[in-house]
Amino acid sequence: MRRITRRRGILLGVVAAVVSAVVVLLSTGLGKDPSVVASPLVGRVAPDFTLSQLNGPPMTLSKLRGQVVVVNFWASWCTECHTEQAALDQTWQQFQDSGVVVVGVNFEDTTGDASDYVRTAGVAYPVVEDTDSRTALAYGLRGIPETFIVDKTGRIVDRIIGPVDATKLSSEINEVLLAGAR
Amino acid sequence: MNAAAAKARLRTKLPVLMVLLAVLVGAITLAVVAVRGHQAQPSQAQQVQQIAAGLHCPICKDLSVADSPAPLAQQMRAEIAQKLRAGESADEIRASFVAAYGDSVLMSPPRRGLSGAAYFLPAIVILVGVLGAAMLIRRWVRSPETGPADDVEAAPLSATQRRAVHRALARLREEEPA
Repeated sequence: MRRITRRRGILLGVVAAVVSAVVVLLSTGLGKDPSVVASPLVGRVAPDFTLSQLNGPPMTLSKLRGQVVVVNFWASWCTECHTEQAALDQTWQQFQDSGVVVVGVNFEDTTGDASDYVRTAGVAYPVVEDTDSRTALAYGLRGIPETFIVDKTGRIVDRIIGPVDATKLSSEINEVLLAGAR
Repeated sequence: MNAAAAKARLRTKLPVLMVLLAVLVGAITLAVVAVRGHQAQPSQAQQVQQIAAGLHCPICKDLSVADSPAPLAQQMRAEIAQKLRAGESADEIRASFVAAYGDSVLMSPPRRGLSGAAYFLPAIVILVGVLGAAMLIRRWVRSPETGPADDVEAAPLSATQRRAVHRALARLREEEPA
């Protein structure tokens, strides 16, 4: 009967180790949602911007320091943005007197289309125009809608990919407000 | 030396010659790439194209910023050009996009951390393959008649078996014509 030599044993061990490593790498990688890429901006100071408002004076993010800011990137042509409109309006109505500002950042749109949408949908919170997409790039935007929650110190505490949920957004804002009050 | 022996010798040396040829071709290719690398200073448009080709378009699937017609990619190219005009290096420009998007914005994985394995693992695999091939070729050259050596060790002979082998050898010697 043939015996397995030491050399062959080592070879089999190496092959088994390599196969195991590949399996572990693939299984951990495949378990992740490829569309959800962690933002390196979370925990860091939000990139500042000064953008013109659709109906009002230019708005500067750093001037809102001391308030919680919900920065929502949207466009009139984006159907998922329409889906979350009610949730954002609800959040604005609920928190505008509690030191929370919702800012809609209009992305890759025309002023006319954005204004028409704001008027017909009854958007009450301030909306600014990112005409050259520079702010979108600074925020590492990968699509819309995308929402960033900025705390009172100006740090990004969360990034929400896709339409926001009113309940989740409210509880998250409450947490940020509570953390800021401590 | 007869023709058959020369043919047999050539057959045993053939794998070695093939490996040498492969190494030679590789060396020539590397030399050509090295020489071509020293080209004239690229224009700013070429630099923009080079940097953009190394960045993923964040809102597209599997397209670089250089190849994407998306407005965001166009804006990224404009920003690269502006940063180059401002005197920023290619590394600094890439770093600014990584700061906002993370390493996933790079078309090639970074050379640090776990991603660095993508660079050194292929070299290790090739090295192991070449060493393995060299060992096999050495064995074939040493024993061309038997082909690849058997990896299985022969079990030690028992005393009875050893005696039987001795008897058989003695018989063979007796039968041998003087």
